[in-house]
Amino acid sequence: MFALMALFAFSAFILKPADAEGDKIVGVWEPGHGKAKVKIEKIADKYYGKIVWLLEPIDPDTNKPKVDKNNPDESMRNVPLKGYRILKDFVYKGNGEWAEGTIYDPENGNTYSCEIKMKDDNTLDIRGYIGVRTFGRTDTWKRLQMKS
Amino acid sequence: MKIRLFLLAGLLLAFTHVFAQQDVDDDDEDYDIYDSFESVDAKPVKRYANSKIVGLSPQRFVTLSWDAQLGYDMNFSPLGEFAPDSDPAPGETGRARFTGGMRLNSAIPIISKSSFIWQSGINFMDVRYNIQDINILSEDAAGLAGILNENGLRNLNWTNTFYLPFNEFNFMIIQSQFDMSGDYDFDLQPFNTIRSSFAVLYGKRPNERKQWAVGASRTYRVGNVNYLPIVMYNWTSVDRKWGTEILFPARAHGRYTFNPNSMLLFGYELEGQSYRIGALSENGNSFEIRRGELRPRVDFQRRLVGYFWLGAQAGFRYDWSFDADNMPNAKEFFRGLFGNQPFAMRNNLGSPVYFNVSISFVSP
Repeated sequence: MFALMALFAFSAFILKPADAEGDKIVGVWEPGHGKAKVKIEKIADKYYGKIVWLLEPIDPDTNKPKVDKNNPDESMRNVPLKGYRILKDFVYKGNGEWAEGTIYDPENGNTYSCEIKMKDDNTLDIRGYIGVRTFGRTDTWKRLQMKS
Repeated sequence: MKIRLFLLAGLLLAFTHVFAQQDVDDDDEDYDIYDSFESVDAKPVKRYANSKIVGLSPQRFVTLSWDAQLGYDMNFSPLGEFAPDSDPAPGETGRARFTGGMRLNSAIPIISKSSFIWQSGINFMDVRYNIQDINILSEDAAGLAGILNENGLRNLNWTNTFYLPFNEFNFMIIQSQFDMSGDYDFDLQPFNTIRSSFAVLYGKRPNERKQWAVGASRTYRVGNVNYLPIVMYNWTSVDRKWGTEILFPARAHGRYTFNPNSMLLFGYELEGQSYRIGALSENGNSFEIRRGELRPRVDFQRRLVGYFWLGAQAGFRYDWSFDADNMPNAKEFFRGLFGNQPFAMRNNLGSPVYFNVSISFVSP
């Protein structure tokens, strides 16, 4: 009985209303260019997004699954893009905004500061930037779901 | 039981913390299931042509550069009226030992979304002259060599560029530019001498290695105002080593990429504006040097650190035009390439070697 009460208390502690709001971002999303699908998930108290699908999964130069060949870290250049975490360390700030994270662009190997704003339940505005928000660009991502 | 529960929670947190540090998800997820994921919205997702292609030289947000020309001869006609095809005897000569100065360029994103980009920038160019061996050969000489030696020339402009993609392939670019050019100091010069330039382009980006566009422009790049067609053609080879960056006739470059951190551009740029000379502008007139120059060059660009790049240019500065017009009430007129309105001065400059060194804060 005591264990159940402790579990309930623990759950109540970790499942705050803010967490429920923050968890709205969890799911599968498609960036504006449509060349990938990204699964956003919550790990501990932060949000991460990994590539789970590629429009062109095979590298035409090698005829093998695409790897992160533009990564500035040479040791990462053979890592498959599928499964690669391109969104990292996002914290929910309230009002449908996630911040303090980074986004990685496999096309050029650059990592940017990033903020995410949920326009509606199925649309995200993702702004990657360098240093200050001015030097950045906003992309719109759409929520995906499994075909019924 | 309590201890076990907290141990479990602690282990869970520790595990997820370590897991979160990794760039790669090493679980055994079945990625094939994502083939069947589709948009929640009934309407299809609108996609837009990217404003760039792969392999382009970095787009510069802010650039600070220093431009220098080696020595050359200057021949200025006397003041008068000279037909465009005339070649009057010099009324004044001199030797420019040095021409150049600092330049500051900016293109700051005001709005930057997939569906619309607006960049705005203030640009400033300071050209200082060290002119020696000045010879006055005519009593009608304007004394231009002395004025340039004393004041130099400056250009201050405000440029706005709008990129409007219509869909995944087609786009439009609109650019406006307002220039104040002259030998002014901190007091600037009358606002009715501000000259405007515009460009409109419509194009296509068939794939991530090519984009082209055609359009029209009103430009001062050859000194006088002109209305010219424009062709843009940016291309990158499959191996990303070679490419072109062309916005004809303003500039055209080939590109060779050594590696993602360094590249060489080779080609030319047309540079010019209409510069008001204060001492020769009387009774509300605007006496303007129609400066236009062609710069064939090589341009080596290399990443210094992060988003800061170094640029080093070398080439020739060919004199296209350094003639002058005296415009009543500063009112601009169109001579074009074939007009016959007389010039107030016909001038010739030698064509020296030039160098330009820059540091830029660039877009990824």
